[in-house]
Amino acid sequence: MNPTDLALRLWPPAASATAVETDWLILAFTVLTLLLTVPVFVAITWFAIRYRQGEPADRSHGTIRSVLIEISWMLIPFLLTLIFFVWGARLFFISKQAPGDAMVIEAIGRQWMWKFQHPTGQSEINDLHLPIGQPIKIRMISQDVIHNLYFPVFRMQMATLPDRYTEMWFKPDRTGTYRLYCSEYCGTDHSRMDGTLTLMTQADYAAWLQNAGAQQGGQAGAGRAIYESYACGTCHDPGAKVRAPSLAGLYGREVRLADGRIVTADEAYLRDKILNPNRQKLAADYKQVMPAFRNVIPTDDLDRLVAYLKSGRATAQQEASP
Amino acid sequence: MSGGTSVGVRLASHFATVEQQKHAAVLGMWAWLLTELLLFAGLFLTALILRLTHPEAVQAAARHLKFWIGAVNTVVLIGSSLTMSGAIQLSRLGWQRGMVRFMLATAALGTLFLALKGYEYYADYHEHMMPFLSDRPYALTDSPPSRLFVNLYYVATGLHGLHLLTGIAILLAMTRQASRPGFLAAHQNRIEIFGLYWHFIDLIWIVAFPTLYVLNR
Amino acid sequence: MTSGTITDGPALRDPHTPDSRIGHGPDYLHAEHTLRSWFFTTDHKRIALLYLASITAFFVIGAVTAGLVRLALVVPDGQVFTNDTYNKLFTIHGVVMVWFFLIPSIPATFGNFLIPLMIGARDLAFPKLNLASWYVFMTGAFFTLVSVVLGGVDTGWTFYTPLSTAFSNTWVVPALIGVTIVGFSSILTGLNFVVTIHTMRAPGMTWFRLPIFVWTHYATSLIFLLATPVITVALVLLIAERAFHIGVFDPAYGGDPVLFQHLFWFYSHPAVYIMVLPGMGVISEIVPAFAQKKLFGYRFVAYAAIGLASVTFFVWGHHMFVNGQSDLASVAFSVLSFAVAVPSAVKVYNWTATIHKGSLKLDTPMLYAMGYIGLFVLGGLTGLYLATLAINQHVHATYFVVAHFHYIMVGGTVLAFLGGLHFWWPKFTGRMYIEAWGRISAVLIFIGFNVTFFPQFILGYLGMPRRYHVYPAEFQFLNILSSAGSTILAVGYIFPMIYLVYAIWFGKRAPANPWDARGLEWTVASPPPAHNFLTEPQAPKVPYDYPIQARETGRQHS
Repeated sequence: MNPTDLALRLWPPAASATAVETDWLILAFTVLTLLLTVPVFVAITWFAIRYRQGEPADRSHGTIRSVLIEISWMLIPFLLTLIFFVWGARLFFISKQAPGDAMVIEAIGRQWMWKFQHPTGQSEINDLHLPIGQPIKIRMISQDVIHNLYFPVFRMQMATLPDRYTEMWFKPDRTGTYRLYCSEYCGTDHSRMDGTLTLMTQADYAAWLQNAGAQQGGQAGAGRAIYESYACGTCHDPGAKVRAPSLAGLYGREVRLADGRIVTADEAYLRDKILNPNRQKLAADYKQVMPAFRNVIPTDDLDRLVAYLKSGRATAQQEASP
Repeated sequence: MSGGTSVGVRLASHFATVEQQKHAAVLGMWAWLLTELLLFAGLFLTALILRLTHPEAVQAAARHLKFWIGAVNTVVLIGSSLTMSGAIQLSRLGWQRGMVRFMLATAALGTLFLALKGYEYYADYHEHMMPFLSDRPYALTDSPPSRLFVNLYYVATGLHGLHLLTGIAILLAMTRQASRPGFLAAHQNRIEIFGLYWHFIDLIWIVAFPTLYVLNR
Repeated sequence: MTSGTITDGPALRDPHTPDSRIGHGPDYLHAEHTLRSWFFTTDHKRIALLYLASITAFFVIGAVTAGLVRLALVVPDGQVFTNDTYNKLFTIHGVVMVWFFLIPSIPATFGNFLIPLMIGARDLAFPKLNLASWYVFMTGAFFTLVSVVLGGVDTGWTFYTPLSTAFSNTWVVPALIGVTIVGFSSILTGLNFVVTIHTMRAPGMTWFRLPIFVWTHYATSLIFLLATPVITVALVLLIAERAFHIGVFDPAYGGDPVLFQHLFWFYSHPAVYIMVLPGMGVISEIVPAFAQKKLFGYRFVAYAAIGLASVTFFVWGHHMFVNGQSDLASVAFSVLSFAVAVPSAVKVYNWTATIHKGSLKLDTPMLYAMGYIGLFVLGGLTGLYLATLAINQHVHATYFVVAHFHYIMVGGTVLAFLGGLHFWWPKFTGRMYIEAWGRISAVLIFIGFNVTFFPQFILGYLGMPRRYHVYPAEFQFLNILSSAGSTILAVGYIFPMIYLVYAIWFGKRAPANPWDARGLEWTVASPPPAHNFLTEPQAPKVPYDYPIQARETGRQHS
């Protein structure tokens, strides 16, 4: 179904359980809103007619004024609305805790396009194909300004920030073609930074991956190519002329730094070291010779490179080399 | 010697009493100083947060700050606060000429502060410690957060210097008025109000000095 | 001039200024006639009119750009303007409307004119500072206009970095300088009000005899004083970041772009109450006057103003639920945002109760006030939707937000502004406008507003992001509806500009108290004398001393 089929639509389609519950939340809230406001509107209108100047109305025994009334119309609506605060917060926390088996899609925002990469390595520009019935986690980052990845069909959005990863997750449960947007204003073509989200059955998705399979081998496989193209091995491979720490099995290990601190080589450490090796994170017993790759390596290449270093493959391949 | 001319405040036409007028002036200055305090607080807070997040870089940058010039400047400003207090005391007694001398001394100390600060900036310039100048390579290029700290140092001290410069200008203009007879009889509270502002500039420096120079050594 | 050399003893006066207790001067409009007497006046009433003229000019600029934005959105494929032009149009609309109309609108005009009159003072505490703050405002305005004339800005009124510092190729710096300078004008106005309300009240005018208008302006002034310096720092750092790349907001140098959003919203959320509170003050004057009934729950309404001004400092994070803020912080900001609705609700219920068993006159100001209550309630409650975390994840940065804040800003502030303008126009100018025209335009504005902005709630829930020039075709119907509504709204705005100005020269002369209202400003002539009070003002024993009062038998009245 094409999303533009309907000329006028008054309610957006929903394609996840969270989205459906968000709809119930806002509908129930609207009912409460009406309960709180309609009496006020009716009262104002009724008083305006009933007590117009010159109307023979009984204005004696004026409104009883008491602290009790004031306190009660202060507290009762507040407590009622707090129900929705709790409900909203609960849904929010669910949407923050991705299940462990979620499929991870890497997303990169840049002026003015989205780039998505599937775990199997295929990447798409602006369009995104996803299987239903499977939790999906999107890890995203921006290459320039702040963007915001927005899927109305999941009632979900999250900012992409420069130099910091953010995440969101959802579990699609309905096939179809929907829209995705950038919802944080990001410059000239902000309104063209949108795309199509295609939700398909697992089988269709698998078939789509086959056909679209551009870069096989996944993130880490692509990362191997990056490792080669930047000639990282010239220094870091065992037996290289320049003495640099071996990267085999580095990920997750503890590293002693020149200033005596001991840090864990996690993902942030790897990224930092590549972008800016001089940031007081020199490993002990080594000299500072590595150039900084900030503004040299694009973020998506960096992602692949880090994925490669994280994968066991870096170890295996390096040990295999002479 | 002009001991004890009459001291007072001429009533502006829209006030009912002199008391009301003085109360309004004091309250107004305090309100202004409150907003100023918030202005500087934002900067100092950023500097402190930066120190927490990048301790080594901030230390490296702070080592380049001229501690002794900062320390001498602190003494100079405290001295100027003393002379300002003297001017206020004399104004209450009605000793207008003595007061003028103390005001000039205050302005002189303020100028001395600015001169020392200017020399410090000059030395920084020589040491390539002005990262915001694009044609002058920065000394600590290998530590980007230090660049940020040094820049904040310029924003904070520059803003403080601007306040001091304004203060000196107002002080000199007021000294000119006060050199004519009859000033204290009509405008004694101007001295009091200005004194609040001057002490405030001093206070800001007393916070800035440890935040920027001392804590990071 | 110096004959009145005074010691701390009893007050003697400068003989050149007429003493209001003795003389009978001409009214403030006719006291002097030269252009100089306007541009160098220290009379709070004249300065108020200077502000009124300036902000009206800015309102016209803001409204024209809004009209062009609505025009562009009639078609979905963005063929009316280029994307850059569209981005500049909505940025100019936002910058001008927020900083050069909404924030100064009610305080700098009505507040300036009325606070001294309402508390029984001859002027604000610092009349020269008051004039200076208008010049500061105009200086800021000059810089902003320069940036618009040179080619505009395209960052949005929020100036988010790194877009504004590293990526935009437009005139960001002059616009930022303009906005920074205008902040000082706000600070000076707020300072003047705080000191005036503290020290200049007439004998017997205790805090709880003050009109709610004065209370809300006191609360507003506190926000001016406490929040504005923070935006000043943020904007100064932003200017430095753009001009010198100092790095505070750049992650490459250990800075953080989200830090700017925190500083920005720490001011800009309280700024919402800078816009809303004075409007509440206006409504609290109009409703009792046209119901001829004492304001219901005076103390609660007064405390609610202070409560709003306090809690509003702790909710800024609700603008950043989906910007990578920590989840716990989001929950805290969410619940505090629910709490901030409580004092607003207090005001709405108390206004409604004031109307109950009153003796209502549905004149123009009252029509605006009733429209205000309706729209403000909708705007406020949709604010609660946005404060609900799960809903915010969906409608953040969509047209739902646009609709919500226009219900607050236009439905709230602008309607209160227009209501107040009609209420006090006789006091300002000494002339009555034609009532029928007033009622027609009040109704037009109410209808036009709802047709313009209600569809945007639906657009937002459907998922149309804000600041979109090109949008999917399925949203076109609602966008056309919205644009059509804006033309009705435009007509509603143009009418008052004509008949109010017409009334200055050709209107009927206004009596001192055309509405039979209470409050010291109605005890002086219309327009007021140059020095406000010819005799020592007598503070009323109770505020809002109208014939009908709660818990009392209604007295007979005309």
